[in-house]
Amino acid sequence: MFRTSDIVLIAVMVAAAAMTYTIKRNAEVQMATVHKIKAQIHTEEDTIDLLKADWSLLTQPERLQKLTELYQSQLELEPVGARQIVGLDALPPRALTIENLTAERFDLGPDDTGLADGGVAAKDPIKTGGIQ
Amino acid sequence: MIGRLLRRGANNSEAGSIVVDGARKATGGKAKTRVLMTMAVFFGIYSTIAGRLVYLGYQDPDNSGAPASRVTASRPDIVDRNGELLATDIKTASLYAEPRHIVDADEAIEKLSTVLPEIDYEQTYHKLKSGAGFVWLQRQLTPKQQNEIFQLGIPGIGFRTEKRRFYPSGDTSAYVVGMTNIDNQGISGMEKYIDGQGLTDLQASGLAVAKDLAPVKLSIDLRVQHIVHDEIVVGMQKYHAIAAGAVVLNVKTGEVLAMASVPDFDPNNPYNAQDKDRLNRMSAGLYEMGSTFKSFTTAMALDSGKMTLASKLDATRPIRIGHQTIHDFHGKGRWLTVPEVFIYSSNIGSAKEAEAVGIEGHREFLHRLGVLEKMQTELPEVARPTEPKVWKQVNSITIAFGHGVSTTPLQTAVGCAALMNGGYLIEPTFLTRSQEQAMAVAKKVVSDKTSDAMRYVYALNAEKGSGRNARVPGYRVGGKTGTAEKVVNGRYSKDKNFNAFVAAFPMDDPQYIVLTIADEPKPEKPGMGGTAASNAGIMAHNIIARSAAMLGVKPDFSHENGATLVSME
Repeated sequence: MFRTSDIVLIAVMVAAAAMTYTIKRNAEVQMATVHKIKAQIHTEEDTIDLLKADWSLLTQPERLQKLTELYQSQLELEPVGARQIVGLDALPPRALTIENLTAERFDLGPDDTGLADGGVAAKDPIKTGGIQ
Repeated sequence: MIGRLLRRGANNSEAGSIVVDGARKATGGKAKTRVLMTMAVFFGIYSTIAGRLVYLGYQDPDNSGAPASRVTASRPDIVDRNGELLATDIKTASLYAEPRHIVDADEAIEKLSTVLPEIDYEQTYHKLKSGAGFVWLQRQLTPKQQNEIFQLGIPGIGFRTEKRRFYPSGDTSAYVVGMTNIDNQGISGMEKYIDGQGLTDLQASGLAVAKDLAPVKLSIDLRVQHIVHDEIVVGMQKYHAIAAGAVVLNVKTGEVLAMASVPDFDPNNPYNAQDKDRLNRMSAGLYEMGSTFKSFTTAMALDSGKMTLASKLDATRPIRIGHQTIHDFHGKGRWLTVPEVFIYSSNIGSAKEAEAVGIEGHREFLHRLGVLEKMQTELPEVARPTEPKVWKQVNSITIAFGHGVSTTPLQTAVGCAALMNGGYLIEPTFLTRSQEQAMAVAKKVVSDKTSDAMRYVYALNAEKGSGRNARVPGYRVGGKTGTAEKVVNGRYSKDKNFNAFVAAFPMDDPQYIVLTIADEPKPEKPGMGGTAASNAGIMAHNIIARSAAMLGVKPDFSHENGATLVSME
């Protein structure tokens, strides 16, 4: 003697149960994924620590010195001498090229060569990171 | 539904024509017994459960399974001033077995030996057959070994991760970084210092989580540290010394850039760390520093105002005091100026300088420079200098050239730094420190004028005196040698020396002090010199030549000719 309302209620109840189950199951699956990822992160962190220690071991000055001594005949690496270190101000001025001289002679506009005081090119036409 | 059924039941009873009261009573009585029976059954079930719980509660727990995980105390990484690792925690896996769960011990060992060939068959077999709940098979496996054993799929074995302190630089920085014991507690060096800074409390409360611990940054520069260590190892062998050591100190901040002492030990395998000769000689070794002390004597004479660089002292005759006679090693037999006393390392001249200042003034000056006080720094291994209880004239005279008081080489370097940096005594530190922070704790101990004069005599000594071996082209090195006779059985020995060399560079604006020591060195080859200039001096030279560029000192050749850096009246 089911009334329509009963059937509707039963259907709602079943649907609710099914939905709850699905949500719960999904949550479990997600939780499992989270655990898995957490474990992965943990392993990765440990690996990073280990690799850092490894890197530091491989780049020890002591080890590098031994290697350079061992492969001296092939690499020919030598310690830097004091005379090999100079500041920028110690560099000789740039030698004049023929273009500088011709530019001065014919006075090609200011933008063409960028010639500045004293006949030394102020601007290098090639743009690299180091030249402002 | 139920209501309808009940109603139906009621209808039935109404329908019955005769209602016997006794019958209802009879059924009522039956229901009562049923209820009682049900109660008894449930009571029985629950009391069994309760009884079982109590029984289990009194049982001893099963001993199988791994022991409770030891909370392996995390420690912060220790890095050098450029962020290079000096000490870190790494996780290692250790292999254990639960013999009760081992199915076939022979097979298990057979399989394990494919990965761990060095495993002892007999011993392992006994372990696995012992019936114990838990046995260690192999501690600290590599990750590769762990994975391979894992792949074997042997039942009844497992891994436990353990933290282990690892020192990538090994013996290079052993004395500064120090080491930890098996429980990861610092027992020496900076490791011990870190424990004293609240780490122990953190660990005790379980808050020492590896991720939250910021790395401890030391003032050490690993590259310079390596150079120093390399040079003293070579030096100790070359000069057949029983020990050698060196320190590189920043004059303006008091930071120790590098400090090493040999013989040393490998903190990753410290089987010999407790040996008698394993001592950080730079901070925990006490020595009579010899002629390097003449730096202090000269500075004292100048700072007292009783002498100037032009003052002359009579060094023609040896000094006799009591039954002792003070000679000069490089005797000139004439009157010497104050700079000459320094560069010819005249004992007589130094004694005269001390005499002029007086005993009390001498004592006060050395205490002011901190050479005779216990040094305040982070390292726990610091020795307390010794001095005579009562200073007599003879003490003052011998102390003037570095005999009669013992101090640590590091302190001597700090004292010399104060003479070079404009007169500021800055306690050494093994942690990074800026110049402003250093000036906040600095004490002015000598005048600017004295400091200028000391720079001049240091540079002069490297130009014309005993410091010539330490000169490095381009880096304007100044320095002072010290060859002290060691006391053997209460007498000064003629053939056992303690050699030291203190160098400062660049002399036009000193930034670093390098102090090297060699304990009981012998001539490199028979016939060669055995004084400080020919061993400690050369070590200092090599250290400066190799490290100056890394320390950021610009080479400058304009000063190569002439040591007159400071105009003196």
